Amino acid sequence: MSRLRSLVRASLKANFGLAVLSHRLFKEKKDIWIAAVVVLAGIGLFPTLYGYIRLIKGLYGVLKPLGQEQAILTFSLLAGQFLILLFGLYYVVSAFYFSKDLEMLIPLPLKPVEVMLSKFTVILVNEYVSILVIVAPAFITFGILAESGVSYWTNAILVYAFLPVIPLAIVSLLVVSMMRVVNLTRKKDLLIIVGSLVLIAAALSVQFFINKSPGSEPDPQAMVKFFTSPDSLVRRVGASFPPSIWATKALAGGFSGPGLLNLLVFVGMSVAVFCGLLVVAEKLFYRGLIGIREISGQRKILSTTRMSQMVSSGRRPVRAIFRREWRIMNRTPVFLLNGVLTAILLPVIFIIMAKAGGGDETFVLMRGLSAAKPLYVILAAAAFLIICGCLSGTSSSTFSREGSQFWMSKVIPVTPREQAMAKFLHSYVIALLGIGAGSAALLAVFRLKVSFFLAALVFALTGAVALTAIGMIIDLARPLLKWTNPQKAIKQNLNVLFALFADLGILAIIGFFVNFLAKSGVSASVILFIAFTAVLLLSGFSYLLLLRMVDRRYREIEV
Amino acid sequence: MIELRRVSKSYNKGRVKAVDELTLTVNSGEIFGFLGPNGAGKTTTIKMIVGLLRPDTGTIAISGLDTQRDSLKCKSITTYVPDYPAIYERLTGLEYLNFIGDVYGVPKADRLERMTKWLDIFELAHAVTNPIQSYSQGMKQKIVLIAALLPAPQVMVLDEPMVGLDPRASYHLKELMREHCDQGKTLFFSTHIMEVAEKLCDRIGIINKGKLIACGTMEELKKLSEDVSLESIFLELTDK
Repeated sequence: MSRLRSLVRASLKANFGLAVLSHRLFKEKKDIWIAAVVVLAGIGLFPTLYGYIRLIKGLYGVLKPLGQEQAILTFSLLAGQFLILLFGLYYVVSAFYFSKDLEMLIPLPLKPVEVMLSKFTVILVNEYVSILVIVAPAFITFGILAESGVSYWTNAILVYAFLPVIPLAIVSLLVVSMMRVVNLTRKKDLLIIVGSLVLIAAALSVQFFINKSPGSEPDPQAMVKFFTSPDSLVRRVGASFPPSIWATKALAGGFSGPGLLNLLVFVGMSVAVFCGLLVVAEKLFYRGLIGIREISGQRKILSTTRMSQMVSSGRRPVRAIFRREWRIMNRTPVFLLNGVLTAILLPVIFIIMAKAGGGDETFVLMRGLSAAKPLYVILAAAAFLIICGCLSGTSSSTFSREGSQFWMSKVIPVTPREQAMAKFLHSYVIALLGIGAGSAALLAVFRLKVSFFLAALVFALTGAVALTAIGMIIDLARPLLKWTNPQKAIKQNLNVLFALFADLGILAIIGFFVNFLAKSGVSASVILFIAFTAVLLLSGFSYLLLLRMVDRRYREIEV
Repeated sequence: MIELRRVSKSYNKGRVKAVDELTLTVNSGEIFGFLGPNGAGKTTTIKMIVGLLRPDTGTIAISGLDTQRDSLKCKSITTYVPDYPAIYERLTGLEYLNFIGDVYGVPKADRLERMTKWLDIFELAHAVTNPIQSYSQGMKQKIVLIAALLPAPQVMVLDEPMVGLDPRASYHLKELMREHCDQGKTLFFSTHIMEVAEKLCDRIGIINKGKLIACGTMEELKKLSEDVSLESIFLELTDK
């Protein structure tokens, strides 16, 4: 047990870089600015959190008279668990199978299940932090509004402690089983990507079909029953993932019989699924892990003609670097899943959510809005396209992804500007993929008018230049080059998060000014012109700033 | 030709002096061996020559060009092989060599001729279409060496290039190092293998605690000690 404890402690320290960070902060007095940036990010998060709490309060006001207020808890529990189910996959694949320390851990006298547990714990701690912003405000706001007693708060802590266990254990079970199969084959990388997509698709379709299933035909008797039963909305919402129902009832019930019973079921099920994972992991984990990164090459000597065809010619640095970026991104499963596939998947998720949540209603709403407020529709569509294009984190991890290979970028005879241009082109192409997928969503699901769509597209294509450049600037200011697990370069890279805040901040500022101009009586076409000019100027300015900055930073960054 | 003038580099806000006022000239047509105990400042010096680190003070010139002011020109005539090469594992060997050819602007005919020659000599021709990820450590070292040879550079800087190579590859490497310098080009390399340094180098420099403590031909170094082997000279000088 003490062996496991020290392994878990070492993994946590290594993963969160606590030892390095404290050494740099307190011993070397470096990176003090990180503390300031964390505070800034907190300030950036504050308005969103405020809006979320207001939404919860509003919902409580609406649902309380109907006796359905517990559904607020179910919503937040479900959102948190679904988030883990969907994105936990990235963490599990990467931490269980691609962290470099595994090569050091496998030869140690540890059981497979102990190594797996150390990785599981690291992800679990990550998930506690990730779902905090979604779940904690709902728990706290509900508890205060409902004037809940000690029993509620006690159960809330217990529920929170066990909340990520079931979804994470399910994902881990699926991944551990999948990797056992993957390791039997030659095309391991391809299979990891296909397998991960299948798991994501499965999670999404479960969500989709269950949300669709209750039937759209309004039945008056069913409606009456629905509103007279206090937990009908809870059951309706939580149907796609029953643990959220048990957790809700455990919270709402407190120390009463049903409350404790549901808590017992929730905790019991968490423990049962977790034990199932332990049993499976002991048998399958090492069989999937050992040799997963070994790639056997074929012995094939190229003919002179073939060699001549495959060898390129002349100096073309931008093209060479673009191709390097493209190939490395698409051939590293973790990068591909987070970059290209996220860019394409995000709009697909939006489509599924919109369809599941009643596509026709959305369509009617859009039709109404298009007629009444075309300006807002165009700008909202543009914002949607920009978000689809720029949320993948490709630009804000472009330097970090090079990691220990950055030495090559420093020694090759290619100017930093040429390198930045190639990287910009690569990130922009990924953004275009997202914008393309987003466009399909806009046209197919929301059936946006073509003229509105084209206007939004021009906006998005221009705005994506700015956001791509800004993402690159953020990563260039503080590239994360020392990583042992590719996941850290993109998914756990703070630069990606900072870029996300910056993107949302820019969109919010533009939205604020558009709203201000519209309220001041400025005509829609003038507002569109002003907004477009602002986006165009921002794009030009940020691209030039990137080129200026890259010269200096390439000199400064030492490897 | 490589010239270092009073080059210093320190870490931890000047508390750890890795290289201290180093002045050194490596002439054209010369194989220069750079020796020193672990942590003496060899890799830091090499990294400053190729532009991976910036000297705190002093200047470095390659073929008369300042590495800070004319960095691009310097880079276009220099290639570098690090001690533990972290290279693009997701590319195939051929894609990697093509990348190097593209950024250095090597014409197709030269590329084909050199690639064929070196892939054959280092016995990598059969693996060139495989991802580098599938290579052994020695094969990775070989592909980085071939990449460094591909642009036919004026100056080659190698950090412990023999590590991981099998005896046959080591032999070929020593041959090509000689061949490179016989064409009037410069080669700077660090090593811990005294025999190699003794037999191969035109001149040898010994660095200890960031300072160059000895520099010259093997004959000149022998005069500094009563012993005749480079190993004994090294041990005696670095023990002080």
